Amino acid sequence: MTRLEAVQAVLDSLTNELLVVTTGYLSRDVFKIKDRKENFYMCGSMGNAYPIGIGLAVNNPDKRIVVLSGDGAALMSLGSLALGNSLKLPSLQHFIVDNGKYASTGGQPTCADGIDFSQFHNTTVYSVSEDEPASPRITLGPIEMAERFRSCFV
Amino acid sequence: MTYDECRAKGYDFIVGVPCSCFKQFIVDLQSDTAMSYIAANREDTAVAVAVGAYFSGKKPLVFLQNSGLGHVVNIVSSLLIPYNIPIDFLISVRKEPFEHTHMYKITKDIVSLLEIDSQVYLIDSSSHS
Repeated sequence: MTRLEAVQAVLDSLTNELLVVTTGYLSRDVFKIKDRKENFYMCGSMGNAYPIGIGLAVNNPDKRIVVLSGDGAALMSLGSLALGNSLKLPSLQHFIVDNGKYASTGGQPTCADGIDFSQFHNTTVYSVSEDEPASPRITLGPIEMAERFRSCFV
Repeated sequence: MTYDECRAKGYDFIVGVPCSCFKQFIVDLQSDTAMSYIAANREDTAVAVAVGAYFSGKKPLVFLQNSGLGHVVNIVSSLLIPYNIPIDFLISVRKEPFEHTHMYKITKDIVSLLEIDSQVYLIDSSSHS
């Protein structure tokens, strides 16, 4: 499976779910394949997409909240995954696309081989092996991204 | 700021990392069944959880000790400021013992550099041991 095939698989599983996407290539991929107002592209703040999902799920138990992370981002805030295991929020789903690399900085290896992500709450891991070029940069401005996403709730 | 003062300011979602000077604050908020509280394990995680609450229409407050201020520099700079997400902070300021002394000196400057001055309540607990 390639990175883009994994992203496509996640997007194909969605109907009206709220989606928080990590920094790096994955946000760009989602924007290119299927932009929607229910998507929040968290450019920067590596590792913090998942805890944003926690804050959403705690406050919206009736909505499905989906977070899409890479292995590098998940490793950067492993403690938040432990928090997710502790809270066990039923409406929160985490997809991790694991290529074992920091793709957007030149493909340096991560230490993802040192952890089993599937041990974490409601987590699905896609192991991807092939390198694909980056999708174009997101053309929305950050304030527009935030206001559009918030309008889905309030 | 006491917990009652915090409630009076309208915060309806609280997330934070403990400090010894928040002991009573945390006892009070945990006994308030009307309050949503998440005990976070790192300060940037706390801010991110608060961002999720903000998107949900809540008025969140993040509490932390100033020793953890360094952990929020990135999320403030790359998320709160560019995306224009207002998150308020309650920060305890420790001075002693020695491991707190330098951060004590630079806390106000860091808050100022992060341009979150207007959203921060500093609690001077410099004599706290």
